[in-house]
Amino acid sequence: MARFVVRRLAGMVAVLFAVSVIVFLIFNVIPNSNPARSMAGKNASPALVDSITEEWGFDDPLPQQYLTMMGKIFSGDVISYEGRENVVERITEGIPATFSLCIGAAVIWMFFGILFGYLSAVRAGGLLDRTLTIVAVTGISMPVFWLAAIFLNYLTYKIELFPSGTYVPLSEDPFEWANHLFLPWVTLAIVYIGLYSRVLRSNMLDAMDEDYVRTARAKGLGERQVMTRHVLRNSLVPIVTLFGLDFGALLGGAILVEAVFSLDGIGLYTYDSLLNQDLPPVMTVVIFGAFFVVLFNTLVDIAYAYLDPRVKLGASAK
Amino acid sequence: MSEALLSVEGLRVRFATEGGEVEAVGGVSFELTPGEVLAIVGESGSGKSVTAQAILGLTGSRNARVDGSARFGGQQLIGASEAELREVRGAEIAIVFQDPMTSLNPVYRVGAQIVEAIRAHRPQMSKVEARKLAVELLDSVGIPDPDRRVDAYPHEFSGGMRQRAMIAMALSAEPRVLIADEPTTALDVTVQAQILELLRRLHGERSLATILITHDLGVVAEVADRVLVMHEGRIVERGGLDEIFYSPKEPYTRKLLDAVVRLDQAAPLRPSREQAPLLEVTDLVKHFPVKRGLLVEREVDRVRAVDGVSFSVAKGETLGLVGESGSGKSTLSRTVLQLIDPTSGSVRFEGREIAGLSHREMRPLRAEMQMVFQDPFASLNPRKRIGQIVGEPLRLQGGASGAELRSQVQELLERVGLSPTHYQRYPHEFSGGQRQRIGIACALALRPKLVVADEPVSALDVSIQAQILDLLADLQDDFGLTYIFIAHDIGVVRHVSDRIAVMHEGKIVEQGPADQVCEQPTAPYTKQLLAAVPVPDPRESRSRRQSAPQA
Repeated sequence: MARFVVRRLAGMVAVLFAVSVIVFLIFNVIPNSNPARSMAGKNASPALVDSITEEWGFDDPLPQQYLTMMGKIFSGDVISYEGRENVVERITEGIPATFSLCIGAAVIWMFFGILFGYLSAVRAGGLLDRTLTIVAVTGISMPVFWLAAIFLNYLTYKIELFPSGTYVPLSEDPFEWANHLFLPWVTLAIVYIGLYSRVLRSNMLDAMDEDYVRTARAKGLGERQVMTRHVLRNSLVPIVTLFGLDFGALLGGAILVEAVFSLDGIGLYTYDSLLNQDLPPVMTVVIFGAFFVVLFNTLVDIAYAYLDPRVKLGASAK
Repeated sequence: MSEALLSVEGLRVRFATEGGEVEAVGGVSFELTPGEVLAIVGESGSGKSVTAQAILGLTGSRNARVDGSARFGGQQLIGASEAELREVRGAEIAIVFQDPMTSLNPVYRVGAQIVEAIRAHRPQMSKVEARKLAVELLDSVGIPDPDRRVDAYPHEFSGGMRQRAMIAMALSAEPRVLIADEPTTALDVTVQAQILELLRRLHGERSLATILITHDLGVVAEVADRVLVMHEGRIVERGGLDEIFYSPKEPYTRKLLDAVVRLDQAAPLRPSREQAPLLEVTDLVKHFPVKRGLLVEREVDRVRAVDGVSFSVAKGETLGLVGESGSGKSTLSRTVLQLIDPTSGSVRFEGREIAGLSHREMRPLRAEMQMVFQDPFASLNPRKRIGQIVGEPLRLQGGASGAELRSQVQELLERVGLSPTHYQRYPHEFSGGQRQRIGIACALALRPKLVVADEPVSALDVSIQAQILDLLADLQDDFGLTYIFIAHDIGVVRHVSDRIAVMHEGKIVEQGPADQVCEQPTAPYTKQLLAAVPVPDPRESRSRRQSAPQA
């Protein structure tokens, strides 16, 4: 197991390097214009452009430029020239809101995704299964920004059931924290609940035909034990993979949800920066976002090896 | 005769399908008395497995309708509630399935799965105690080092060990009846002999009543007391072991016995074929590297799949290649045909060196050497018509098209015993034997000189096996074909081969004329292999057992 983890971590470092190079190329090399000019913002003076060129070393050879950029990002020394503020500090401030949103949504969608998928599979073909299918397909089909607007309009403005947006820190008031986040959580989770319940349902239906499930019944296990220990456990393996990919990519969904509910997190900050064509924050968020995705996928791979012991074998025999 | 432990009466199982109701079991009745081994024999689709599963309510499909009666002790099992059945499953009647590879859950440790079975019927037992019992059970079914193995995962076990673990699991609640559904079919013959020995021993120790379901009459002769012969969902004949084997009454039983290719039958006489070698293989080696390393992978070991093999095949001859799974026989055949590149060594086809030729250089030679594969279900594209499948090589290599192609394909279909009207059909419309005929037609389409048949009959029922073997022999005479015939069943190999080569761990341990290898084997491995083959002859197998008591 230790060997497997070390291998995965080593692989992660290699991927992170590749990702950072690609981001560097996309922002500073591929656009056929002066990067200092685009970084400076909309109404920059020539003097500012010159000082940015100096600061970021845009006259240096490319490898040197790459090192300068990474050095600045990871030492927290990136300034937004538009808003005159430290980007990394600003992102750090947004972390609690964004993580509260993402983790809460993930917990909700995993719980309901697995619950609905399990119920559909166990009652396949029945009324409950058909109802859940309709619910799931409806959920999958609804665009996040539209759903967010509908929730806000009816549940916040019309009947005032939930407060409108803004983030209340958990340490300040746990109840208000959850109350303010409830609608954003549901909005973000609903697509995934539909998707995950469908995937789990079909995985479980496949698993029910497996020989080891017949063995489990032949042992004299009860139906619920057969379903949870043998069918569900084996069907969760692909769900975990899916979760790794989706959770990492959640930032994209978070931008929309944070913007609509005006939650002061990384998503909203990115949204504002994009509108203002403020490049340094966008660049930094992309790098951190990509790193987070890679890190999270590595963790999922390791979890995967725990769920399916054959994975370790494959890794060492390869 | 003591009182019946299990009595089945008028058992019927029907499945609702799109095309109406299909009767899988049509009124089966039998009794099982304590301590006996009852064999249910039949070919695939005869309803033997469904019968066993229906008794325990394990038919699995929601579309199954089960009627009739199966009484265990005083209890009616057909129509019993899930809760009642659960008390019986595992605790009173345990079942061991055919494929130990898929019958254990891959994500749990073997020990945990046995513990689960123990605690399902003895919930008051602690996990620690149950684990101790699991170790004892593994020990009793002959798993070496059970203390450590109890924590292994199924994929860390060999096929034979998995089946032992399945048997340990079945015995965990001390059942009175054991149903073994093709328990050795997926195993190598030497492993099969060990498992049968284990079943016999357990049967003696625990006086377990056993229902043995199998298609293999050799296995029946080794262990059964009484035999039921099933055909198309009905019992066509029943009787004691010797009765069935030596004085069968029903034509179907006789047919089944006649179709068995027996190891102790000399091969039919063949005209001697002393001709120039078509294929010469010298010191052929295929190693697969095993790589390890954190970042930079180093080769730490190699799998010696083919490890210095030399043989030659004369024109018109059949060379039989025998070996158990993992012996390297399939890798050898693929390496000979240059489907995978050899590590070293020489392969000469009609005197020309072909080892190391590029794909482009090999293309014209591909027409001269063809393969027939084991699994006729998996090796035909389900979305293509038979005409397209058989015609494809002709189109690609022969350049035929249109009406000419069609008539060539139809001629081929006729030649392998199919009807020319089958041209428009899809693979799923054919039976296993017919599909294998299609596979043979494909191989013959380009009039090859060499045909490599890799386990061509292992997936087929015995009566179909015999037909395909006859077809291969006829075609050999008509087309002057040279065969390399690969199989794990040395009886079948002897039946068709002029010479036999025995493979073990990547090497040919013995080769020579078929009769000589089978009757006077010299290599210890060949002797072991021959001794493990079950003989479909109860008297013979009894005398073998007495003369060679197990250590």
